[in-house]
Amino acid sequence: MELLLQTLLNGVLMSGVYALVATGLALSLGVVGIVNFAHGEFLMMGAFLSYVLFALRGMDPLLSLGLAFLAAFVVGALTYQGLIRPVLRATELNQMLLTFGLSILLQNLALLLFGADTRVVAPPYQATTLSLGPFFLGGVPLGAFLLSLAILLLLQVFLTRSRLGLAMRAVSQNRVAPGLLGIEADRVYLLAFGLAAALAGVAGVMLSVMLYASPTVGFVFTLKSFAIVALAGLGNLKGVMPAAFVLALAEALVSTYLPGGGGLVEAVFFLVLFLALVVRAWRPA
Amino acid sequence: MRKVVGFLVLIAGLAWAQIPLKVGVILPLSGASAVSGKAALNGIQLAADEVNAAGKVRLELIVVDDGTDPAKAVPAFTKLMTVDKVDIVIGGLASGVTFALSGPVKQYGPLFLVIGAASSVVEQAFEGYPLFFHYHPWDYHNVAAALQFFQYLNREHGAKKVAILYEDGPFGSAGIGVYKQQLEKLGYQVQAEPFKAGSGQFTAILTRFRAFAPDILYWIGYDVDALPIATQARQVGLRPKLIYGAPPSWPIGFEKNPLSNDIAGMTAWLPTVANPQSRRFVEAYRKKYGEVTEEYMAPMGYTIVNSLALAAEKAGSADKNRIAEALAGLKMPTPFGLLSFKPSDTGRTKYQGFGPEIWFQFQYLQGSRRPVFPKNVATRPLRYPGEYYLR
Repeated sequence: MELLLQTLLNGVLMSGVYALVATGLALSLGVVGIVNFAHGEFLMMGAFLSYVLFALRGMDPLLSLGLAFLAAFVVGALTYQGLIRPVLRATELNQMLLTFGLSILLQNLALLLFGADTRVVAPPYQATTLSLGPFFLGGVPLGAFLLSLAILLLLQVFLTRSRLGLAMRAVSQNRVAPGLLGIEADRVYLLAFGLAAALAGVAGVMLSVMLYASPTVGFVFTLKSFAIVALAGLGNLKGVMPAAFVLALAEALVSTYLPGGGGLVEAVFFLVLFLALVVRAWRPA
Repeated sequence: MRKVVGFLVLIAGLAWAQIPLKVGVILPLSGASAVSGKAALNGIQLAADEVNAAGKVRLELIVVDDGTDPAKAVPAFTKLMTVDKVDIVIGGLASGVTFALSGPVKQYGPLFLVIGAASSVVEQAFEGYPLFFHYHPWDYHNVAAALQFFQYLNREHGAKKVAILYEDGPFGSAGIGVYKQQLEKLGYQVQAEPFKAGSGQFTAILTRFRAFAPDILYWIGYDVDALPIATQARQVGLRPKLIYGAPPSWPIGFEKNPLSNDIAGMTAWLPTVANPQSRRFVEAYRKKYGEVTEEYMAPMGYTIVNSLALAAEKAGSADKNRIAEALAGLKMPTPFGLLSFKPSDTGRTKYQGFGPEIWFQFQYLQGSRRPVFPKNVATRPLRYPGEYYLR
C-alpha cells in the first residue's frame, strides 16, 4: 500500500510538467491549427537559457523563469510571423514537414552552439526532499508541479476572463466568424503561438533543474505532449491536465509494478495514444 | 653558391627521408558519442602536429564524421577508401558503428587502428582480419576491472547488495545477465532494472529499490542520466552506501554540482595520472587547446597516432603491411602505461593493445575526479559510505 501511494505521488508530481508542455502544444493546435513538431525545441531553448545564465552569471534558474517566458515568447512570435503564417493555408502535410524541419534545424543549431554534451545546473535546493511520514516528496518536482498548476490556472483565467483570451477561444471555435466581428485572427494566432512557445520555455527551465539541458531534451516531451493532447482531444485545453494525470500515473504504475517496466515507459505513452485515436475513430460523431 | 646548393641538397635529402602517411580518421563528431569523438580527434591532431614537427614521418589526416550512425559511417568509410585512397584508418569508436564497418573494412583491407568499440560482438566480426589493431580494452576487460572493485567492496567494506539500473539499449543491456551472475558469484544479492536513457524517469524504480535497500546503486547508462539518478535517489529516500556509474562520458558541470560528491565511476585515464607520458600529454594538450580534458579518448587518440608514427619509422616505409609488422612488435610507454600487442583473451583477434589493467575507479570530490582504486593509482582513500548515505 505504501509503495502504491508513493508511486501515485511520483506520478502526480510529474503530471504538472507534462501538462504545462502539452498545454502549449494544445494552444498552437487548437487556436492556430498547426501541428508543431518543433514545440519541444522551445522547451530546449528554455533549458539552455537556464543553463547559460547559471553557468555565466550564477543566476538561479528560478530567476530565469520570467526571462525564459519572454525569450521563448519572442522566438515563438517570430517563428509564427516568419514561418508559420505563410503556410497557414497550405496542406497539413506541408505544415507538418515545415515544423519537423524547424525542429531539426533548432536541434542542430543547439548542437553547433553547445555541442552534444549534456549540461547540468546546480542550484542549492536541487535535492531538497520533504518526508511526510513514510512518503517522500522531491522539493523540485513538487515546486514544478505547483508552479505548473499556478501557470495553468492563470492561463485559464486569461482565456475565460480577458478579451484577448476570449478572442483566442473564439478563433479556435470558428475561423471565419470572429473576423466578421472585428477580431484580427492573425494577431490572435501570433499571440497564441508565442504563448505556446513561452509555456514550453518555462517548462524547459524547470527541466534544466530536474533533468539536464541538451539539444535533444525537448524531443521526448514533444512526443509525450502529442499523446496527452490526443487523449485530451485535439485543442481541448481543459482536458490537458486530466490527460496528463492519466498518462503520468500510467507511466509510474507500469514502471513500478511491471517487471522491466522502466524500459516500457515510452511504450505506455504510445499505447495510450494508440487507444485514444482508435476509440475516437470508432466513436459515433 | 656552393653553400646554397649544399643546403638545398640537404633539405631535399631530409624531405626524401620523411615517410609520408595518408591516414583516414573516422570518428563520431556528431550523434550520441560526439563528446568522446571530438576528444579523440583533439588527441589525434595534437599527436599529428608533434609527429610532423619531429620531421621523420609526415602525416596527412583526412577526417570524416561517422555520426554515431552505421548508415552514415559506411558511406564515409567508403569515401576514405575510394576517393581519398587511404591505406590506414584510425577510428571505430562506437561498437555498433564499428560492427557495421566490419564488412567494408574486410572488402577494402586497410590497416585499421581501432580506438574504442569495446563490445565483443566487434571482436567476433573482425575475427581473422589480419590488419585489425584494437587498442581499447574489450567489454570483458571492463567487466573484469569493475568486478575487481566490487570484490574489494564486498571484502573490505562488507557490501552485499547491488541494485543495477541499466539502459535498455545495446550499450546497457549487453551482457547484463552474465554480469548479474558474476556479481552473485562474488556473494552479492542483485536486483536489476532496465530504464529508457534520457527519459529522466527513475522515481518509480528507485522507490522499488528502496525496499531492497542496496549497498551499491550501479547504473549503466549515458551522461543524461547522471543528474536525474543522483537527484531522484535522494528524493525517494534511497540511501545506498555507494552510487557507481558507468557512462561513456559525464555531463558538463556535473563535477561542480554538490550532488556529484562521492559518486564513483570507472575510467582509463585522468589528468592526475602521474606517469611522464601522461604529464607530457596534459601539458601539450593545454598548450594547444587552452584547457585540460578529462576524456580518456583524447590520450587514446594521441597514443594511436604516436604508435603509428613510431611503427612507420621502424618499418622505414609507408607500406601498411610493413607498418603492421612493426606495430605488432612495438613496446611503447603511453599515458595509460605500456602499450604492446598480443592476441585477445578469446584468441579471435591477433592484436590487442590494452587490457583490464588500464581501468581504475574514481570518485567525485569537491569539483574533480580523484582515483580511489586500485591502491597503486589511488590519490585518496575511497569514501565509503558516501555522503548520500550519511546525510
